[in-house]
Amino acid sequence: MATTTAAISLSSDLMSSNLSVSTDTTLMKAGTENDSLDQARMGYNKIPTGTSFDLLDATTAGVDKAAKVLIANESEDETYYVTIVIDAKTIGRLYGGPDGSGDWMFIPWNQDDATHDLEVTATTGTNNISWIVFHEGETLPTQGD
Amino acid sequence: MATTATVTLSSDIFSGFSGYSKTMTMYKDGSLVDIDSSTGFSKRKLASTTKVDLITMANELVEPLDNTGAKVYIKHTGNGKGVFDKSVGVTVLINSVEIGVLYGGDWLLMPVAVVDAEDIEVKPGSDATVVLEYVMFYEEG
Repeated sequence: MATTTAAISLSSDLMSSNLSVSTDTTLMKAGTENDSLDQARMGYNKIPTGTSFDLLDATTAGVDKAAKVLIANESEDETYYVTIVIDAKTIGRLYGGPDGSGDWMFIPWNQDDATHDLEVTATTGTNNISWIVFHEGETLPTQGD
Repeated sequence: MATTATVTLSSDIFSGFSGYSKTMTMYKDGSLVDIDSSTGFSKRKLASTTKVDLITMANELVEPLDNTGAKVYIKHTGNGKGVFDKSVGVTVLINSVEIGVLYGGDWLLMPVAVVDAEDIEVKPGSDATVVLEYVMFYEEG
């Protein structure tokens, strides 16, 4: 059985007592204790400004299935950013940063209908975006579709 | 002051996947100036399937600056007594649009627009007790 884990280490000195959080989780199929996610896709895209693109297309095969998505802005300029949108709802911005310090996000992704695409719109300049999806339930389209 | 977050992924789905790790520092809009405000680290216990606001943007004591570099971290800590049930899910939404489901032990970190009414909502999938930990970092408006 495949095993996929996601860990985060979060720290901040904004509060009087420094915040430090570390945790990890094993990515499982929806509602299961012992059945891990067993499919994955990954990519790297250059996103030109001005147009909203579907970075990840929702599929009905993903309805009620588990999926986890990592998206990172690999742009080196901190004034560059992409706006993340799901089903026409603006989620927020991922900025670039020097020396690979750009923003990233890691979320569960509900593909609760075919319009639940994960979209990106680039601003300031062409943004470089990397992404990984761990999921279940996908079947490939037959030839000719 | 600095707020940083590192993600580390490992998987044997790809035979040649050597893992992934990335660190970000949270900055103000389009700058290398550290982000300066936070909700503080909070915990919320839920025990019904009613959808509730986890963070109500209009209620923040320090008004967030809209559409900047804000990020939110949420973790499903199980029942709060050390039991992480992967079959108990909590749906995370922004103003009624579903983002996804966190199962026991799962976490997320995502950008948020922090616009008033674009609240972060959560909806447990059952009446089982679940405890969420969360913190939002944002730029003061």
